[in-house]
Amino acid sequence: MIPPELLLIIINFAIGLIITISLNIEVGFLNIPQFGRLLSVVMGAIIAAAVPGRILAAILGYPWGAEYADHMHNYKIVSEINKVLASNPWLSIGVFILTLIIAALIGGLMGLLCAYPALRLKETLGITLLAFGDLAVTIAWNYDPLVGGTTGVFVVDPFTFVGSQLRFTIAALAALIVALAVYFYAELLARSPYGRMLKAIRDSEVAAAVYGKDVVKARKQVLIVGGAISAMAGAIWALFTGSMKASTYTRLQWTFWPWAFMMLGGVGNNLGIFIGVLIYTIARFLIIVYKGAISALIGISPEWLEYILIGLLIIVIVLFRPQGLLPEKPVYSLPKNKVNSIISKVEGEAGGEKSPTSSQSTSEKTSVTT
Amino acid sequence: MMDLIVKAIAYSSCIGIGAASITMIYDATRTFNFAHASMVSYGMYVAFIAVYLLGFTPYHALPLAILVGGGLGLVTYYGVNKWLLKARASETNLMMSTLGVDLVMFGFLNVLSDYLIQVHKVPAKFFVLETRDIMIQVGDTSIRLVGIVAPLVLAAIVVSLHIFLTRTKIGVAMRASIENPALASISGINTDVVYALAWLIGGALATLSGLLISLVVTGYTAAGMTMIVSFFAGSIVGGLFSIFGSLLGGLLVGLSEFLGISLLGSVLGGWIYAYRPAIPLAAMAITLLLKPEGLAGFFVKVRE
Repeated sequence: MIPPELLLIIINFAIGLIITISLNIEVGFLNIPQFGRLLSVVMGAIIAAAVPGRILAAILGYPWGAEYADHMHNYKIVSEINKVLASNPWLSIGVFILTLIIAALIGGLMGLLCAYPALRLKETLGITLLAFGDLAVTIAWNYDPLVGGTTGVFVVDPFTFVGSQLRFTIAALAALIVALAVYFYAELLARSPYGRMLKAIRDSEVAAAVYGKDVVKARKQVLIVGGAISAMAGAIWALFTGSMKASTYTRLQWTFWPWAFMMLGGVGNNLGIFIGVLIYTIARFLIIVYKGAISALIGISPEWLEYILIGLLIIVIVLFRPQGLLPEKPVYSLPKNKVNSIISKVEGEAGGEKSPTSSQSTSEKTSVTT
Repeated sequence: MMDLIVKAIAYSSCIGIGAASITMIYDATRTFNFAHASMVSYGMYVAFIAVYLLGFTPYHALPLAILVGGGLGLVTYYGVNKWLLKARASETNLMMSTLGVDLVMFGFLNVLSDYLIQVHKVPAKFFVLETRDIMIQVGDTSIRLVGIVAPLVLAAIVVSLHIFLTRTKIGVAMRASIENPALASISGINTDVVYALAWLIGGALATLSGLLISLVVTGYTAAGMTMIVSFFAGSIVGGLFSIFGSLLGGLLVGLSEFLGISLLGSVLGGWIYAYRPAIPLAAMAITLLLKPEGLAGFFVKVRE
């Protein structure tokens, strides 16, 4: 058993890490101003709320059309489905994985959708993507047959088979495993030739195009990958909380906060982002724990204090350390000891002579003095 | 129906004023001002304080709103934006910094709201000032004053900005440094003053629109955050490079939001009303995909 406080940190860290890594792939690797992260996150949550429950309801013979999302029927149907899932561990695991796969597919589709403006707009791209995200939430909030609109729906619970004691622990650990997998994927991506190509395009689009790199294709692919990963975060969050209500998906929490994590950790550096999300999650947890003490001390409601602190944090980072806590380092394509051995080999071949650049500069100096 | 049209005119004028604020700041400093959201909310609370604590009408608070907004704009500029412009920060960083400013402002506004509730026992969480508006008789119908004042303020802004930008020395300097900052500073224009002025005017316009819009929509601390997409849409529909274009674009977005939705509602049925927030997004998307240079592109030649 893990204490609930630690559980809270784990789940928030896992969700934050997945979203921020997906953001980093788009912003850090390719410099796309992705202010519409909310779009794919909320789509993932919608998928988790609408699709697996409906499939199971159809198989088990419950209504799965518009009635499924109706608040009068939804809780009954979902609790019946959960009973079935509780006695079927393999089915539960299958539902969890299937949900993630469908969410990733739809998230990728959203990325493809974003690619249309992303290839055409420059200054206004960020605002357009932001508007896309808001549009998705507006639709989910108002179109009842999808995920219950303003009343929201319950989400089927694939973790219920471990019993109510362990349920949240297992769910949080599953989220953490996905988050770590995503982290290692992003790290591999950064070290791969493809990742180096992305950074080359980011640093100079023209130069990369001259060397025959397809800039348009790369942008499209990165948007698809980013959308797919962040949609998984939305799906996991919906499965973990067991309910989905569109109004809880705000652009502040699902777009701007990941941006703040990313800038805190270091844009373009996966390890930095890992640390940034961890620091922030723990800080937020401490604010929640010491809520009463803080507000008694300064007379401000801790909720607003959190806004002020995050705002100040963003300002301080942008002003004083725009590269983040861990700045991006050049990524080596080979392990470090191999690179070192090659360097020493080359230096050995040079036979202790001065390197060409330094000898040149000394000769220049002498010419100036003479 | 008459009331709806008056409301639509007032609302769209406010969106126009706010869109002009975004364009002003973006043109001068390349900064998309997310703090606009809180600036608008501060305008709403200026109106609220004027009505509930001071016993005035919101219209008496117009100068106060200008002062508050100008102050917020200057604080943002001298506190954050100036140093980033000096360091030649990227547009994304500029945008993120104003987001930070917005969160700080939002936090303090909520603190103010809590204070008003606890100390003065006034309903500062959500407030509707619509009913406090002055009704005036025109013929045999009575219409709200805001339906006249908001377009008048808009017209006054158009005229005074036009005179300011074409007839005064500092206004001409401002246009010069917007078009070519390097050349302007070589010819001896103090770009620092110009940027500060843009933030001053931009902030004042944002709170002004917030004050007036509080007479049409419900006021709460996050109201600006909810509406900011409309303001951005107005600015983008207007073309992003012309202040007058965005005044017009804001008007258009506001009108289509208010009148377009009731027109659609009468054709398609009542369910469409819930999708009102989608209208500015649609307007923005159509503009960006079909005519990226916006309304301004129709009457101003955009130089490359």
